[in-house]
Amino acid sequence: MKTPLSLVALRYAAAMFITVIFMFPIFWWGLTSIKPASDIFNKDEVVVFDFKPTLINYRVTVLGESPSMLTGGGTASGTTMGTGGENSFDGRKTIFDSIVIAIGSTIFTLAVSLGAAYALSRMAFRGNQLYLNWILSHRFLPPIAIIVPLVFMFHNLGLRDTYLGLILVHSLINLPIAVLLLKSFLDDVPKELDQAAMIDGATRWQSFRMVVVPMIRGGIAATAVLCFVFSWTEFLLSLFLTSEIRTLPVKITTFVTSTGSEWGFISALGTSAMLPSFIFILLVQRHLVRGLTMGAIKD
Amino acid sequence: MASVTISDAIKKYGALQVLHGINLDIRNGQFIVLLGPSGCGKSTLLRMIAGLEEVTAGEISIGGSKMNDVHPKDRNIAMVFQNYALYAHMSVRENMAFSMRLKKVDKSKIAERVGWAAKILSLEPFLDRMPRELSGGQRQRVAMGRAIVRNPDVFLFDEPLSNLDAKLRVQMRTEIKELHQNLKTTTIYVTHDQIEAMTMADVVVIMRDGNIEQVGSPLEVYDNPANLFVAEFIGSPGMNILEGTIGEDSVGKTFDFHGFSMPLPQDFKVHAGQNVLYGIRPEHVITSTSGAGLQATVKVVEPTGPETHIYADHGDMELCSVSRERLALSPQSEVRFLPDIDFVHLFDAKTKIAILKSQSAG
Repeated sequence: MKTPLSLVALRYAAAMFITVIFMFPIFWWGLTSIKPASDIFNKDEVVVFDFKPTLINYRVTVLGESPSMLTGGGTASGTTMGTGGENSFDGRKTIFDSIVIAIGSTIFTLAVSLGAAYALSRMAFRGNQLYLNWILSHRFLPPIAIIVPLVFMFHNLGLRDTYLGLILVHSLINLPIAVLLLKSFLDDVPKELDQAAMIDGATRWQSFRMVVVPMIRGGIAATAVLCFVFSWTEFLLSLFLTSEIRTLPVKITTFVTSTGSEWGFISALGTSAMLPSFIFILLVQRHLVRGLTMGAIKD
Repeated sequence: MASVTISDAIKKYGALQVLHGINLDIRNGQFIVLLGPSGCGKSTLLRMIAGLEEVTAGEISIGGSKMNDVHPKDRNIAMVFQNYALYAHMSVRENMAFSMRLKKVDKSKIAERVGWAAKILSLEPFLDRMPRELSGGQRQRVAMGRAIVRNPDVFLFDEPLSNLDAKLRVQMRTEIKELHQNLKTTTIYVTHDQIEAMTMADVVVIMRDGNIEQVGSPLEVYDNPANLFVAEFIGSPGMNILEGTIGEDSVGKTFDFHGFSMPLPQDFKVHAGQNVLYGIRPEHVITSTSGAGLQATVKVVEPTGPETHIYADHGDMELCSVSRERLALSPQSEVRFLPDIDFVHLFDAKTKIAILKSQSAG
């Protein structure tokens, strides 16, 4: 049956309407980041397009230029940050920290969870199912419940305020989901493929690496995106466990001060923060395809 | 190439025993078919030979060496799976080269072997395609190609044709048999399809409930089934089985059934009054519309072209005959079924084991 044109038009209209609703906050965020401070909050009117675009917010947060030099000594909150040229709105190190931690914890999570998921999917051992439930139970507790013991433990282990510490703690949160997710992808790969590989002369490791892993590429990519995005946006644990190292969500909150909020800097750094995760998702996107096992078996 | 010996092989899954002491000798170069209904343990036995299942007790040896604890990769066997199990992310060429790549075989040698296998299996035009771009028959051929390139000691086939359509199945059947005739590699083939077993095997092993019921050439098991199960399992339409007793008249021993007395070959080792099962294959039943024979009412007539299957009821029993003549029969008409007594099989009613004739018993 051919869909009537009016219905097609209606569908597109609805799709566009919903897209606009979802995109608007991002659009407004981006717009705010290029507004001069005076146009972000204007007590007379909401400034939409009627402003002189400026890159000053980016120059301060992403390029690390001194705000006092650019704004002539005054910021929105009136604080004169950066005495002696130090710029507390400089986001360069924080972007670097976030990238290191997000990529580090994604790689670590994938490495551990792939092995665990393979064992759970392929090897019969006592308590297999129990173990799976136990893994899942780790997600029942909200992170805040473990924060106090974690701080003590990390302090004693010398992991507070280290990349390794945050990589470990983000992996800790991501592992259960990653294991469960990867296990379900592995379960979809027919066991006959491992067996065929073994008969062809592969060790278990070879059949895992050369046959099984390539087939769940899509699943690995999806899991990687989840892990990365979690780590990139995680706030609470990073806040408690670091002071010198600052991830983006933690850093951005420091722009909200008792004397005022630097909306311009917040929106500029926030918009910039979207970029790395956007690039990361683009990179793994080509692996996010279904049907990698198509043709392996008779369906 | 190698022989395969299975002695007292037992397989248990927890408390459940699926194989009860299997003994089997497979000679070098033989094509042996494990045949049986689903759940009889034939695939389990094959997987034990492959090393994919542990042997609970007993011994499996290939080429004279015990294999029980040898990893599949070190058994030098090749296996074709029912669902092909191709490496979907590799091209046909890579699929076939995989085993040699693992063994670090010389690249030129790999190319040569893959080319050779592709030629035998007519896969040359498809070498650079991915499995998903192939038809079912082509995929099956790739699975076979993957097996033959390595020149293994033993080929294992696990119902390789059951996913193909009828026509392709017949074609692949011939191809596999031809392949075996050329390569002469010891082959163990699992199927539940008796036509595959009959047409391909040097030796058929009929299994039921984890036991071997009979081992023999296809015609041996067809002509001389060792017991009622084999008699009923092999042959389509199945053997007619009548339950009755041995009687005696002026000529000699007879088979008495529903007040009807049928002559028997005199060399059966039976005694009067013995309860027996009388088996006769449909093609050994002479069908006529009048004259001697069991009277029956036609139920269904199935012409297949070369022959016609006639199903008819005698009392509450369904009988079947196969006739090559063009008989004008319609449902509800009366027919006479006359067994050809040279082809009668007798089974003990209690043990269900075939009753032998004196000379064949020696």
